[in-house]
Amino acid sequence: MRAVWATFTRELRAYFFSPLAYVVLFFFLVINGFLFAMIVSFLNDPRSPAGPPLGAFFGGTIFFWLILLFICPVLTMRLVSEELRSGSIEVLMTAPVTEGQVVAGKYLAALTFYLFLWLPTLAYALIVAYYESVDWGPVAAGYLGVLGIGALFLAVGVFASALTRSQLVAAIITFALLIFLFSPGLLENLVPNETAKQAFGYLNVWSHMDDFAKGIVDTRHLVYYLSATLFFLFLTARALEDRKWR
Amino acid sequence: MIEAQNLTRRYGDFTAVDGISFSVKEGEIVGILGPNGAGKTTTIRMITGFLPPTTGQVTVGGKDLFAAPREARREIGYLPENVALYTEMRVEEYLRYRARLEGLSKAEARQGIGEAVEGCLLEDVRHQIIGTLSKGYRQRVGLATAILHQPRVLVLDEPTVGLDPKQIIAIRDLIRHLGRRRTLLLSTHILPEVELLCDRVMIIDRGRIVASGTPQTLRDSSAGNPALRVLFKGSLAGAAEVLARIEGVVAVRPHGQAGGWLVEHARGTDPREEIFRAAVANGWVLLEMAGERTTLEDIFVRLTTHDAASEAADPIDPIDPIAPDTTSNAAPETVS
Repeated sequence: MRAVWATFTRELRAYFFSPLAYVVLFFFLVINGFLFAMIVSFLNDPRSPAGPPLGAFFGGTIFFWLILLFICPVLTMRLVSEELRSGSIEVLMTAPVTEGQVVAGKYLAALTFYLFLWLPTLAYALIVAYYESVDWGPVAAGYLGVLGIGALFLAVGVFASALTRSQLVAAIITFALLIFLFSPGLLENLVPNETAKQAFGYLNVWSHMDDFAKGIVDTRHLVYYLSATLFFLFLTARALEDRKWR
Repeated sequence: MIEAQNLTRRYGDFTAVDGISFSVKEGEIVGILGPNGAGKTTTIRMITGFLPPTTGQVTVGGKDLFAAPREARREIGYLPENVALYTEMRVEEYLRYRARLEGLSKAEARQGIGEAVEGCLLEDVRHQIIGTLSKGYRQRVGLATAILHQPRVLVLDEPTVGLDPKQIIAIRDLIRHLGRRRTLLLSTHILPEVELLCDRVMIIDRGRIVASGTPQTLRDSSAGNPALRVLFKGSLAGAAEVLARIEGVVAVRPHGQAGGWLVEHARGTDPREEIFRAAVANGWVLLEMAGERTTLEDIFVRLTTHDAASEAADPIDPIDPIAPDTTSNAAPETVS
């Protein structure tokens, strides 16, 4: 546990000491702030359908996904690749730690920074709450969805990072894998086969997020995110171990 | 303290290390010597548990690296060939992180860091960012990391590579100091370093141990006849014949500049007095006469030089970038 904690604190610190984190944070907030303002002004139009602004904010627009698909690779690409490139992996893995502990520490740091990115968006909910009553259930469920999807995407990113010593390649692999995970949402209505349609439906992160935004917490979705996350983290630890045998 | 049995490591078809066995006793300082690409780093990585051996077994302090990796790794402090540190961290911050990674308690960490900073002379840069440090200082931070958890075994892979002469001397002093209380295994391709630091040497070539022993026994065992270096003033006709006739002399070869000779003589004989008398009798001016010591370099070159074809593919560079400091008195000549 101490090894996980040591890795976690180091990685988290590394995030806050790198300019990358602030660039990401800056654009994340600019885009999301702009997006939220757009949603509010759209909903203010009397001709628009009624609905809670935060419902539309969580997954209601393509921006939500674009942001996630770009941010997750950027947040995770450094984690293992940089150790492989610089060679610091050698002193890391000859310390009395296991691959699993290292992966867990790094992953949790990425997840924490990701949640930190989302933290300022709570202000949007507070702004809305200032003007009208907010149903906090769907808001909490929305954040739960953000957590679940982020957890999965970041796990994919950590995995890709353990495959290569190049951060750029890691980011590209992550991006490709995320597109793949995201595609059932695009394909669900295109495939003619009923079984395939159903299967894609289960994996459709887009509709999952819609459910969360409406306040529906479906345990099937949570099980999907949790198990897929653990699966990718497991693969990451295996990838780190495998490197030794080649 | 370290027991390696029959270590073999293959990378695909290439066998980097081929059935190496050795042991290092507690408190010993052992050097692994070999040309570049001989398998030094691979051997070291197997000892530290970074690479698992294809076959064979390593125990450190009685703990098997494969069966009990965490316990065994706790016994080892490791300085890899390429010291990679997290450049955005400060020195002390990095050491604190490493202490936590090693699983030290707060009190142990404080003590370990204090001793490491003091031992590796890092007091001045304690709060500096690692990225701003010179290579010599980074090497010291690497060493500090290695001794932080007070391991009984220190493994250093080419600890002085890439440093300037002054830094090399400082790091060597440091290693000697650290070696007083610990078992030390270090690899190098710099020969004087081995003579300076090590109790025992293993010469590795093409993945095998080709010789092992103290620098002295290695020198004795593989040395041919002892030889004298003699220098007369001016080049003298007939000197070779006169020298060759002296009792005990086996061979006379021209050596160095004009008037210089290398006089090989049988073990147990001492022709120096006769050479002097011969010089006086012939009226030659004797400028120099000295015993030529077989250096480790001679042995090293003899053991690791192969036929011309393989040499081209496997160049040897055993020449120290700097002259050794005063402790090695008979200056080794350059390898020719």
